[in-house]
Amino acid sequence: MAEMTIAEALRQAIREEMQRDPRVFCIGEDIGIKGGFGGAFTVTLGLSEEFGHDRIVDTPISEIGIAGVAIGAAMAGLRPIADVQYGDFLFCMMDQLANQAAKMTYMSGGTVSVPMVMRAPVGSTRRGSQHAQSLEAFFTHIPGLKVVAPSTAYDAKGLLKSAVRDDNPVLVFEHKLLYGSKGPRSEKGALSPVGEVPEGEYLVPIGKGAIRREGTDVTIVGKLLTVYRALEAAEELAEEGISAEVIDPRTLVPLDKELILGSVRKTGRLVIVEEDNLTGGWAADIAAIVAEEGFFWLDAPIKRVSAPDTPPPFAPPMENFYLPSVERVMTAVKAIM
Amino acid sequence: MATEVLVPPLGQTTDTVVLATWYKREGDPVTAGEPLFAIETDKATLDIEAPASGVLRDVSAVEGEKLEVLKCIGFIAAPDEKLPEAPATARASPTPAASTEAPLPPPPRQEKPAGGERMFVSPRARRLAEERGISLENLAGTGPEGAIVERDVRACLERQAAEGIEQPRAQASNEVLAESPLEEVRAITAAVTLTAEVDATQLVDLRQQMAEAGTAVSYDDLFLFILGRVLKEQPALNASLEGNTLRQWKRVHIGVAVDTETGVVAPVVRDVDGKSLGQLAQEASALIERAQAGRLSPEELQGATFALMNLGTFGVDTFTPIIVLPETAILGVGRIARRPAVKDKSFVIRETVWLSLAFDPRLVNETSAARFLQRVAHFVERPYSMWV
Repeated sequence: MAEMTIAEALRQAIREEMQRDPRVFCIGEDIGIKGGFGGAFTVTLGLSEEFGHDRIVDTPISEIGIAGVAIGAAMAGLRPIADVQYGDFLFCMMDQLANQAAKMTYMSGGTVSVPMVMRAPVGSTRRGSQHAQSLEAFFTHIPGLKVVAPSTAYDAKGLLKSAVRDDNPVLVFEHKLLYGSKGPRSEKGALSPVGEVPEGEYLVPIGKGAIRREGTDVTIVGKLLTVYRALEAAEELAEEGISAEVIDPRTLVPLDKELILGSVRKTGRLVIVEEDNLTGGWAADIAAIVAEEGFFWLDAPIKRVSAPDTPPPFAPPMENFYLPSVERVMTAVKAIM
Repeated sequence: MATEVLVPPLGQTTDTVVLATWYKREGDPVTAGEPLFAIETDKATLDIEAPASGVLRDVSAVEGEKLEVLKCIGFIAAPDEKLPEAPATARASPTPAASTEAPLPPPPRQEKPAGGERMFVSPRARRLAEERGISLENLAGTGPEGAIVERDVRACLERQAAEGIEQPRAQASNEVLAESPLEEVRAITAAVTLTAEVDATQLVDLRQQMAEAGTAVSYDDLFLFILGRVLKEQPALNASLEGNTLRQWKRVHIGVAVDTETGVVAPVVRDVDGKSLGQLAQEASALIERAQAGRLSPEELQGATFALMNLGTFGVDTFTPIIVLPETAILGVGRIARRPAVKDKSFVIRETVWLSLAFDPRLVNETSAARFLQRVAHFVERPYSMWV
């Protein structure tokens, strides 16, 4: 067992997969250059020394290129782990992901597969609207893509390894404030959870969520950073006599519906917390699923705690207003008690 | 001469339009040709001109209301002129609105008047109330938006328990699980009976152990318990023929045949699948007592989805029980007796019972019925498996 940050756990996952399978390689901007940080958040730090620049491939600033090369390499039999420096740049490679990677298997009648991984950091960190989005919902909506969102070091290593071994294109969303990156890449206001990570081989299965805290009065579902907001809120709510159950789905597609429905069956109340904008978001999908399949277990309306329908602000006080806070989660819970 | 104000037929694809805005209020003077109200069709919002000059009177449509074309929604007339019988006088004229600039969203749909205000009840609370026979009418709601929620129903249950009130079993109608209209229902059919000899040694032991421990249950109670389970698993036999439609029921209510002075009656034990053996024993014995005393109420004889008849005490082994219409099937239980059986290559003595399952072959086929009987037999032979 080792204590690792999420960045270290991801790095360890990549290292183990690259050692295990010579077809695995990484491709992205500044992931292996000499003197670099190892990607924007230190995840690939040191890997180019270990595996060489043929397997830690630096690219020009061209997201379409990164995606296109990864898709082609995957179709030809390799297993790339590609990444963007900020999740916002996924929009630059949208056609590659949505129209090519996601649909290739289907359109080829199953004869072609695209076993690639695309890693993307998300979350608001005072860098302005185009560098702050939590846009998982755009990708959970595309059939043909799997989407995971690990929020602990244990899940980060286990899920990334599972993603590499999955024959489908898998998006791996990581939160910038959860990496625990040190030195010049450390983020102000970061949570940096450190967790126990087994040093040996293990996998976290794609498609299974986790109950982070058991409770009986309300189910709170979050992803990435909002899992931690939910846990903080649950702690404070407990002091007021409200017992909250916190669920971290870990995988967004395919969603562990049964875990959420089972919890709502128990508690009768649901609050979903996300850092994304309210309208047409991920929380809306979860709410619809529960309203459709768990309606008769509900004791109160479903509440979503999301960012308002504006681009993420730059100014810190406005960013604080925009992001779902612990207080807002508590307010939502109390409104339905 | 009073002029009717009509809803113009301008909807291109529908016969209704929405009154978006009134530009004049009741009592206002109106000049022919000036915009009087705006309507929203499926394609556009249009201003409608006043058809005459005078005073706008007897307005009977409000902003946001959906109206049929050519409906009369008001009159333009002299202030004191007598108006023809105006339709829809039940609707109030729009109170002078603070601002008629922006069209208001449509008003909430009129709820069917049920003699009181509409209650808001959470689905969870409603489900609990129905299960426990609680009427929602006099409950106070403490949930969001004043809704009645689970804790309010539970509080009522606690109050009733404290006051020793027997919770009235709400004879809520059963829920249909599945429905299939039958193409052609032959008027007459012969019921088919499947029989099986089942090893009841463990069942007999179980009943004995329970009796020794102070809990007296009858074989009827045990069979009710078993049937509750199997009918829930295999609802095809928990069904009724109504006219030409076969209805599978969600809840399991079993009529238990009781021999009385005036003949055989079948009081109904409700929701058998949700009850413990102890509860079933209590309820069944109470029903049987009332049956024998001739004090059963009509409700207690209705609503069964299956039936049980035990002729074992009369020394009958197998028989062809008669299906209680409109049900689909009935289980007949014969004598439990010690009989020789074969185990490996030797004779052993076992307590066995003959089961006779009669069913309507128009509604259930032989293999479904056989599967049902097999499952009942399984639980008779291995009662412990019901708790695993």
